Amino acid sequence: MNSCCLAILMILSILLPAMARAEDSYTFDLSETEKKAYHFGGYVEFKPVLYGLDRDAAFYKLRFYNDPQGRTLPEANGRVQLEGSYEKDIYRFYAKTNTDLKYSDYTNGTERSVFYEAYGSLKPSSSLKIDLGKKTMKWGKGYAWNPVAFVDRPKDPDDPELSLEGFIVATTDVIKSFDGPLKTFSFTPVLLPVYDHVNDSFGNNNKLNFAGRFYFLLYDTDIDLMFMTGGSRPDRYGADFSRNITTNFELHGEYSYIRNSHKNVLDASGNMGFLEADAQSYLIGIRHLTTFDLTTIIEYYHNGTSFSVDEIKNYYTVINRGYDQFQTTGSSAMLASAQAMADGSYGRSSAMENYLYIRLSQKEPFGILYFIPALTGSMNLDDQSYTLTPELLYTGITNLELRFRTAFIVGGKDTEFGEKQNDYRMELRVGYYF
Amino acid sequence: MLRIITLLLILLFSTPLYALDGTALLKQVDRNLNPESYEMYRKLINVEPDGKKKEYTLFSLKKGLDKVAALFLAPASDKGRSTLRQGENMWLYIPNVGKPIRITSLQSVVGGVFNNADILALDYAAEYNVEKVEEKATDYLLTLKAKTKDVAYDRLKIWADRDKKLPTRIECLTEAGMLIKTLYFKDVKEFGGGIVRPSLIETDSPLYKEYKSVMIYAKIRQRAFKDEVFTLTFMPNLETMR
Repeated sequence: MNSCCLAILMILSILLPAMARAEDSYTFDLSETEKKAYHFGGYVEFKPVLYGLDRDAAFYKLRFYNDPQGRTLPEANGRVQLEGSYEKDIYRFYAKTNTDLKYSDYTNGTERSVFYEAYGSLKPSSSLKIDLGKKTMKWGKGYAWNPVAFVDRPKDPDDPELSLEGFIVATTDVIKSFDGPLKTFSFTPVLLPVYDHVNDSFGNNNKLNFAGRFYFLLYDTDIDLMFMTGGSRPDRYGADFSRNITTNFELHGEYSYIRNSHKNVLDASGNMGFLEADAQSYLIGIRHLTTFDLTTIIEYYHNGTSFSVDEIKNYYTVINRGYDQFQTTGSSAMLASAQAMADGSYGRSSAMENYLYIRLSQKEPFGILYFIPALTGSMNLDDQSYTLTPELLYTGITNLELRFRTAFIVGGKDTEFGEKQNDYRMELRVGYYF
Repeated sequence: MLRIITLLLILLFSTPLYALDGTALLKQVDRNLNPESYEMYRKLINVEPDGKKKEYTLFSLKKGLDKVAALFLAPASDKGRSTLRQGENMWLYIPNVGKPIRITSLQSVVGGVFNNADILALDYAAEYNVEKVEEKATDYLLTLKAKTKDVAYDRLKIWADRDKKLPTRIECLTEAGMLIKTLYFKDVKEFGGGIVRPSLIETDSPLYKEYKSVMIYAKIRQRAFKDEVFTLTFMPNLETMR
């Protein structure tokens, strides 16, 4: 019997390598390469989040003054994005929807659905394309911020790679290639109307805005010049560039000049004032890759349209006064006014003047394929408050993306991150593409 | 008389060395692999040590010596991504993220053993000088040195079939001669239009022990493109070229 088993094992030991070789045959089904006129796809996401609340912070008081919470607040988030396109000859139509779902004990359930993009394209040649509809333009070279993205919604520096909702525009790409130092030139004019129910969140109503971008690939450097005028927002001009200094070292920058930029600011007594002045915003950054696949992104951002340390401190003072008023009199009038200011500009991300962003991501450490741990830090250089976000990303299962990260939000009293609602935020994101 | 015979013998034996023009041979290997301007489809398979596979399907276009673009068709998580190369300039466009960002040849947009230089490969003769050619029993062995520091691999050793003038194996090395990866060219087949070339490239690397990546080629055909197709502004529209 033993000799029989031995014989079977011997035969298997001879056959197994051959069987393994047989598994090495690779196939390419050519039906995968057939182009269809229609395309449909999408993305679903489940993201549970645990907020560690800072109950002394100004933004905690502003949000929860009449409904105090415990030390933590769990929240379940969902997202569904559907996209489809139809293409025939020189015509193409593309649409992408986004539905955000949110549930917590505080909010109960909320849902918001919107078309992120929905536009028709006409492409008579590879040098000319005309788009009409809702579209994201995606201007700028910065990773975390884009001061020259004149016709886009602002990115979230906490998650700069998230897709954004567009605006309704009419736009054209005219492209020309050359031999010599100038290899490519393109011009992208944009018409952006702002009327009732049409881009009405963009700025002043009943205006037809005109923006444009000139792109040059000159001496192996990407250069853009852009402008926007029309009255919904103050006129502005900008430029950006990106260039590889060495193979693995990229340098980029953006600059924007805004004429008669205006903002509402609070003085020390809590009175609202109106300031108008020309403003400059700029960003300089690098992206570097080491031989062992560590990618470093560093960016410095100056926001000339934002608030100084004193201006933001006055705002926190108003919230604290409003909170005390609510505690003593039950009146929430001052807090409601502070909430309106938060929705306007005081509550936006990167609301102050000078920021430093650093992101380190290591591709596939220890030979673990499709695994990318990263560490991101974002510092307000004016008040030295900061966030630090370690994260783990795994994309090894086809079409599935798993990301776990924790953001530690650190800062003293009257600092930007110190007065945020949370001390930390822990989240798992499970995303599936189809 | 003896001198003349000696001289003739020296000339006779030295002639093959001078006759073998390494640069011309390399250019011929390039042309046998692909037309100068073409479109093609590729499937890229990363194989992990436990046999688990991850597959990508790409549509690629190339024009002249320095312009190449690739569009991801599958899987769904990567669909619509595109990469573009103009000489040493390389960009990656991810539809969600929006604007194209600059990338480098050593990076890999797919993970695994293939990197961007493999996916957006130009003609070898465009990036390398031939340092030495040796005649082996069935192959030529070409030793190449990169023309600039911007190239992903400083040195290449190409074993090319003597009859077909097609590569059978390529070793990619650092400046110091350290092996980064080996590409094995297999399954020569007819693609139509006179294109006969390996339909499968397998690669392994001492840096990724027990991992393997495979590229399968399909529908290679000569095609003319306008230069404007290979521009940053056109990247989101590559699908319309299929």
